[in-house]
Amino acid sequence: MEIEVQDVTMQFKKAKEEVFSLKEAVIQKLKGRRSYELFTALSNVSFCVARGEVVGIIGTNGSGKSTVLKIISGALLPTKGRVLVDRDKVQLLTLGAGFDPELTGKENVYLNGALIGYTKEFLDEKYEEIVRFAQLEGFMEEKVRKYSSGMVSRLGFAVATIRDTPEILILDEVLSVGDMFFREKSEKRIRSMIHGGSTVLMVSHSTSVIRKNCTKAIWIEKGRVQMEGDTDQVCKAYESMAGVKV
Amino acid sequence: MRNKKKRRQYAFVIRQLTAREMKRKYARSYLGILWSVLNPLLSMAVLSLIFSRMFQKSIDNFPIYYLTGYILWQMFTGATVSSMTALTDNKQLLLKVKFPMEIFIVTRVYTAVINLIYSMAAYAIMLALFGVKLKGTVLWFPVILAFLVLFSLGMSCILAVGYVFFGDLKHLYTVALTLWMYCSGIFYPAQQLEGFIRTVVFYNPIYVYIRCLRKTVMYGQIPAAGEFVQMALWGGGICLAGWLVFQKNRNRIMERL
Repeated sequence: MEIEVQDVTMQFKKAKEEVFSLKEAVIQKLKGRRSYELFTALSNVSFCVARGEVVGIIGTNGSGKSTVLKIISGALLPTKGRVLVDRDKVQLLTLGAGFDPELTGKENVYLNGALIGYTKEFLDEKYEEIVRFAQLEGFMEEKVRKYSSGMVSRLGFAVATIRDTPEILILDEVLSVGDMFFREKSEKRIRSMIHGGSTVLMVSHSTSVIRKNCTKAIWIEKGRVQMEGDTDQVCKAYESMAGVKV
Repeated sequence: MRNKKKRRQYAFVIRQLTAREMKRKYARSYLGILWSVLNPLLSMAVLSLIFSRMFQKSIDNFPIYYLTGYILWQMFTGATVSSMTALTDNKQLLLKVKFPMEIFIVTRVYTAVINLIYSMAAYAIMLALFGVKLKGTVLWFPVILAFLVLFSLGMSCILAVGYVFFGDLKHLYTVALTLWMYCSGIFYPAQQLEGFIRTVVFYNPIYVYIRCLRKTVMYGQIPAAGEFVQMALWGGGICLAGWLVFQKNRNRIMERL
């Protein structure tokens, strides 16, 4: 098993009245009530992902599916239960983390690259390829502030996907960006990453994306696993619940 | 091996983030980084204009006396004030990236240190201009600075964690800093203070750092053993406290953000 999620419960403490200031905190403390409301995002979620599987998680907005990813990638610690996975193998694909409009395209490639775990040597080596893929030759010394939004997302995508596919790839919503031509190119690259032999876990609320790519599906609703198994069956059940074909 | 690789990557990230902070700070100014040099000079000029006659008898080289205190104070406030919001400013990044949160605080402190290094260009020019004869004791500078950096780092961690839970801290800290500055003997002869306030100032860690730096640079003396112990204890102690506060609240911070 590559990823084992064992009986994970995630609760967030939500103060009934958001205490964000010292004054309010003192007042509440004096009154002797600092009660919390427990918000349960996930309750007793368990599932396994085997090596080489492409697993899709579906669910409506707020069902807790992104929380699962954050726990697996290690950004959040679960309240109860545990996740067995080699964190060094896990890569969460994120676009444009830390992009700063006041920096040039080139500076952003290095900043963003460093943040998502590339070494300097790797970036030096791949720099030309990144620029070429993003089709931004001649713009790299410009500040990103002057870029169009399409250019920004192309650059973010090019940096994020230049890596050798990690052993465990996590995708929060499948990414296709830019204009029609670039979209085709980016979808192709994502698909080759997904089917490059690594274990993939992706989240989406679109059943067509899940159907197209996954070997197994998990449906999470209101923090609980509703159904797990064959992609087509799970998608059908989800669609009939949602009442619409997404 | 793996740890070594990780550390190298953290260092790379910190350098990149610091470069971003510096570029952003001066993004819309013509003189850019030169301001890090000009700022202490201008401040020194203003204060000297007003106070150097007044303290003529008690401080023999007021501009240098002031500048020595000022650059350390600037480094400390620069580090702590910017670090306080480091976690909230980078909220989005924290959820996406696998790095420990401390990286963002270290970055802000490191930025303040880089800034200090630029200010030292101004300091060096002034030392030469006022004919201060440096002795070997100036080699204490990096030691004093290292302790101050540890102290700033600890304070930064505590403030950053505090700010996540209480937004008011920002305003409280501004007021506290004003008081703290007046208690740090930056622009007046601290030796002449008496009574209670003298005790406060002489036990104030920032003043200890400033006093030691003045001793080593201006008067060619080395810090007394007691001063050395104070500097080390404050630096190490606060740094450890900051680290503990961070460890204890790590998970709660993520929830709160």
